[in-house]
Amino acid sequence: MSAKRSSINRPPTPDVDRDRENQEPTLQEIINIKMIESGEKERLKELLRERLIECGWRDEMKSLCRAYTRKKGRNNVTVDDLVHVITPKGRASVPDPVKAELLQRIRSFLASTAT
Amino acid sequence: MSAHSQLSSHFFEDLLDSIIVDVASECHRVARLGLDRNFEEEEEELRLSAQARARVADSSNNGETNSKYVVDIFGQTHPAVANEIFECMNCGRSIVAGRCFCSSLQGRKARLKVTRSATAAQNRYTRGSPGSSYSSYSNSTGMNRLSNGASSGVAGEEYSNGSFEEL
Repeated sequence: MSAKRSSINRPPTPDVDRDRENQEPTLQEIINIKMIESGEKERLKELLRERLIECGWRDEMKSLCRAYTRKKGRNNVTVDDLVHVITPKGRASVPDPVKAELLQRIRSFLASTAT
Repeated sequence: MSAHSQLSSHFFEDLLDSIIVDVASECHRVARLGLDRNFEEEEEELRLSAQARARVADSSNNGETNSKYVVDIFGQTHPAVANEIFECMNCGRSIVAGRCFCSSLQGRKARLKVTRSATAAQNRYTRGSPGSSYSSYSNSTGMNRLSNGASSGVAGEEYSNGSFEEL
């Protein structure tokens, strides 16, 4: 009668939250959180968007999307398709001055965060 | 590359990817909702331009002798080949559109001069008779000016070489 059923002698459920707390957030995550909390991420995104519109990059990407849509058919394209179509060209065609300006702004934020 | 540079590049690419997704998402929305009003027009233009290219390529392959004329995407020839025949509104005779206007006009001017002088003489007796052998509006205008005794210069000029210009 004192014999225990095997079904209640199962190993305890691993405590996921405790394990996660042991992992330290990376520097990247910390900076990302600071960037979001301070609003700097939104400002940087807006600045980049503005610069990319001014230089015609956005129009070029929209043109690529239209061409792909024309080829595939309006109802047969997904957002994923369009992202995959324009990402390689989009990353490669950012003008150097725009990239330099944004990198400078990011480095300034990193420097101000480090102090 | 230093850690700082790596971090900076990572955040820059993060921002850029986010903007790429925004652009793709907007284009997808416009496409699916049919909000791009120029979409069908662009497709039609592309189709017509492809047809025109095929037509030009075909004509050049056929070795058409009319090689001095180029056909544009609207089907017009350059230089213009005015080989259509029209009926002159003034004298009613058939005339080729590309014919020099001055030659046909000179013909009418000659008739204008001859008939005007004849009619002017007639008018001196009849004083503004409505009958006129003129077939054009400009001729009747000229006649009226003569019958009224007004000198030309307001609506037209008659030059010494017999030409008449309606202003």
